[in-house]
Amino acid sequence: MAQPAISVNDLHYSYGDTLAVDGISFDVAEGEVIGFLGPNGAGKSTVVKMLTGQLTPQKGSASLLGMDIVKERKRVQQEIGIAFETTNLYEQMSAVENLDLFAKLYKVPNFDAMGLLEKVGLGGREKEHVASYSKGMKQRLMMARALVSDPKMLFLDEPTDGLDPVSTETIHALIRAATQNGTTVFLTTHDMVEADKLSDRVAFLNQGKIVALDTPARLKLSFGMRALKVEIELPDGGTEARELSLDLDQTAQDVFDLFKNERILTVHSEEATLEDIFFDITGRGLQG
Amino acid sequence: MDIQRIWILMGKEVRLGATNFMTIYVLVMPVIITLLVALVFGDLFAQTPRLGIYDAGGGERFTQKLLDHPSINTTLYSSDAALRNAVERGTEEAGMSLPAGFIEALESGTEEVNFTVYRWGEAGVRNLLLLESTLGRTLVEGGGEGFDQLPVSVVSNQIGNANTLTWSQRLLPLFLIMAIVLGGMWIPAASLIEEREKRTLVALTTTPTSLMDVYLSKTLMGLILSGIMAVIILLLNRAFAGELALLLLVIALGGLMSSVFGVILGSVSKDMDTFMGIVKAVGILLYAPGILKIFPQVPEWIGRIFPTYYLMNPLLEVSQNGAGFAEILLDVAVLAVIIAALLVILSSVIGRQQQQLAMES
Repeated sequence: MAQPAISVNDLHYSYGDTLAVDGISFDVAEGEVIGFLGPNGAGKSTVVKMLTGQLTPQKGSASLLGMDIVKERKRVQQEIGIAFETTNLYEQMSAVENLDLFAKLYKVPNFDAMGLLEKVGLGGREKEHVASYSKGMKQRLMMARALVSDPKMLFLDEPTDGLDPVSTETIHALIRAATQNGTTVFLTTHDMVEADKLSDRVAFLNQGKIVALDTPARLKLSFGMRALKVEIELPDGGTEARELSLDLDQTAQDVFDLFKNERILTVHSEEATLEDIFFDITGRGLQG
Repeated sequence: MDIQRIWILMGKEVRLGATNFMTIYVLVMPVIITLLVALVFGDLFAQTPRLGIYDAGGGERFTQKLLDHPSINTTLYSSDAALRNAVERGTEEAGMSLPAGFIEALESGTEEVNFTVYRWGEAGVRNLLLLESTLGRTLVEGGGEGFDQLPVSVVSNQIGNANTLTWSQRLLPLFLIMAIVLGGMWIPAASLIEEREKRTLVALTTTPTSLMDVYLSKTLMGLILSGIMAVIILLLNRAFAGELALLLLVIALGGLMSSVFGVILGSVSKDMDTFMGIVKAVGILLYAPGILKIFPQVPEWIGRIFPTYYLMNPLLEVSQNGAGFAEILLDVAVLAVIIAALLVILSSVIGRQQQQLAMES
């Protein structure tokens, strides 16, 4: 078996008496997109901070691309790109200056800032101060900065939080393009639609522990309930919505009876969302 | 530590500082105040060095050379007493009383020549140095031999109270401290706080750049700025004199002390408001030695209580009094101990800062 891009073993971290990460273990294959899902305070950001060398694990170990995250921190950081949730750009500098600065710090030879800015849709505004950019433009620039060193691994912390659909789609396209080049992506989010759309596997994090880790499809099969949502017209002219489970023995008969006896207006199939599954497993929602 | 990254980060500091109001303010402020004081007290357009000469006879060729010299303002006096009186009043900054047969004796090269020089106690060191070098050159030309071999004996008399200082001289220590402390301390501290508040520091330290590299770049930036500021202030006050290497060494040590202190303050200040609060609280302690120097009657030992005394005093001693290394050794040693203590504190601060940054981000 090929060496995993990320290998985490029994990682712990506490802030004082508060246990943030409670002995998590997982592997991520090269080129895989793993989505870390969980509500605020679940420990997602602490995991990212440990893996990216911002925090030193208090117990356990982890390696990225075969390098120990503590002993070889600077080597690890040379191979990764990070897009933070909160904007942290030099706003009094232009986009080109921001990217050039980081390219120099990564010691990237022959860096083409303009090419990268074109990719993230910021071509033409590269010389303006970043302070004049919209939130979506800043987030795209953050993404470009994460890609400056052509990293083997990307850590994206809520990369599309609060963005307009165009910026969101640009960032999704960049993530897909990166994975096609073999980049491993570690995506933390509480947007289950985004995680479902982009992730090869998702991990549910709750109170510092991984409570489920699998492909979105298998999680839905294992935990979710399929249903048929039917809207019928009532004799008095009103409407009523009914839901029929597709996983019961009498489902076929129920569907037959409904279509025979009622006037059907609309029919939709429904599958469990990741949010539903998270709620089923933890008893709490992702926004909580 | 990575020199290349430190250099890149310093370039970024210069780029951001050039458009930052606070940076411009702290750099321009001491210069403006110095110029204002110089304008108000009339030292900005100070006259060329003033030399009085009394020639008892036979020194016409020599005195004519000095009268023709473009860099000094020379006046002839009819008697030694009149010359002495002029120097005493400050009309002349130096006076040269030539005995009869001075030139002949000088040209013969065999006879020892004695003459008297009067120095006004309040004369600036720059003017005195200029006068001395001009006299030296003129003597060599007159004697036709190497200056070292001249059989000339100079009797030097200081006239007037050397402790009587002009306002520019009184304020120079304060301006020097302001320049070094503002440039060295304020800019690294403010830059560090801003980077923390805007979270760019986290972005930097998640690249292969270490926090140590970032801190060193800011410390060096403070050191360079305070050095430049100190030189500018000394030049503006016509006090950039004395042994150059020694002067630069003291400026560098003073700048290092200020910038390390600034980086520590920037690390421990939660935000800009906290920093301003600390500066307001300790500012008077930083500037105290300079303020005390305005009043020469205040005993020197009081100034020695304050750490900035040990960057200010050696600078003044070298630039104003022409002191050598031996004379400022004690002050420099104390300065080095203060810097060492600050570096120990800084290394501890850096250790804690990495974790704090991660928690704040």
